[in-house]
Amino acid sequence: MSCAADTHCITCSDEGLPMRVVAARDDGLALCADEAGAELDVMVDLVGPVTPGDGLLVHAGVALARIA
Amino acid sequence: MKYVDEYRDADLGRVLAGEIVATVEPGREYKIMEVCGGHTHTIYKYGVDDLLPANVELVHGPGCPVCVIPMGRVDDGIAVAHVPGVIFTCFGDMMRVPGGAGTLLDAKAQGADVRMVYSPLDALRIARENPDREVVFFAVGFETTAPSTALTLKRAKAEGIRNFSCFSNHVTIVPPLRALLESPDLRLDGFIGPGHVSTVVGARPFEFIPADYGKPVVISGFEPLDLLQSVYMVLCQLVEGRCEVENQYARVVPADGNPAALAVLEEVFELRPHFEWRGLGFISHSGLKLSEAYRDFDTELRFEVPGVRVADPKACQCGEVLKGVIRPWECKVFGTACTPERPIGTCMVSSEGACAAYYNYGRFAREREVV
Repeated sequence: MSCAADTHCITCSDEGLPMRVVAARDDGLALCADEAGAELDVMVDLVGPVTPGDGLLVHAGVALARIA
Repeated sequence: MKYVDEYRDADLGRVLAGEIVATVEPGREYKIMEVCGGHTHTIYKYGVDDLLPANVELVHGPGCPVCVIPMGRVDDGIAVAHVPGVIFTCFGDMMRVPGGAGTLLDAKAQGADVRMVYSPLDALRIARENPDREVVFFAVGFETTAPSTALTLKRAKAEGIRNFSCFSNHVTIVPPLRALLESPDLRLDGFIGPGHVSTVVGARPFEFIPADYGKPVVISGFEPLDLLQSVYMVLCQLVEGRCEVENQYARVVPADGNPAALAVLEEVFELRPHFEWRGLGFISHSGLKLSEAYRDFDTELRFEVPGVRVADPKACQCGEVLKGVIRPWECKVFGTACTPERPIGTCMVSSEGACAAYYNYGRFAREREVV
């Protein structure tokens, strides 16, 4: 079933994905990994400077909030 | 994983379910709307509704952004996708949402270059890699995905990327809630508020619900125990005669939201006078278009967008489902003519759509037995 995404809605990506920062960069992006280890470039402009290990709530490729 | 495992603990769930049973007043019916499609998905995936007493009913609200897209906007997107030289990008199953004359997937089969992306940033990368093509991003979503679109457009502007534009179908959550509350055929006792929209807008925009309509609101997280606790908190307010906005999801949602996100939304978008919602009709100041400062990136100004208006199929009752007037399986075509494989209505397309959630997790069978 293509629409049965487990962690987020693949139709609109409109569900938060908890991710951890793997590596911060200086262009407003950070390489982040989800629980399963899948990596993604995430825009971190809205949560301030991040460092590896930080927890982020990611929506459609942008971090909206910090999580523990 | 912290903040995941402990919110899926079955023993704690049973304790909470027991407290809910002990809280409700026998003989009183409680109808609570979960606004967000993510909540609907969690409720049916984990069987949260199975743990509730029979007199507590969860009603599924209009919070799936794909489900509320009118067919005409899909047709407009398809028209742009067919323009020679265009690479049309959109989120996953948005490609399967039916317009009046097919889907974006059909357009792809007919030769249009339609590509799936996870985020608008992917669409911008495609624009960078294809400077001789026009790349269009079909933007959908509430205040959760709009910041992603806004930040991407800021990047495009800063980098001077000229072959990228955005077909904005972003919407805001408060106007449809007000429209629902004004609807004469709706009877609700309280709301479970959208957790992640609230990370952006904060809790205050929902204060009109208790203030103007006398209904409690509890902003909720997305794990099964979050939902159970939020139902419990709404019920406590109702039983105690209280009526306020409470924040169950305080571990993520600050009272004031995310000011940086609100600032970027303010910069990149402005409210449309009206926007059409599937099943709900036109709602004032509920849609976002690009602001004057970003008009060069507005697909609707760069291309000739037909502005198609299409009436919803007569057999489809997405509107009633979105208003909580009927439950998904009560729709005439649910599970027969309308399935996730061949959806008629948008509620059956998205995994957050109430109909698809029912269908995928088999709850309709139990409901039919009950009724």
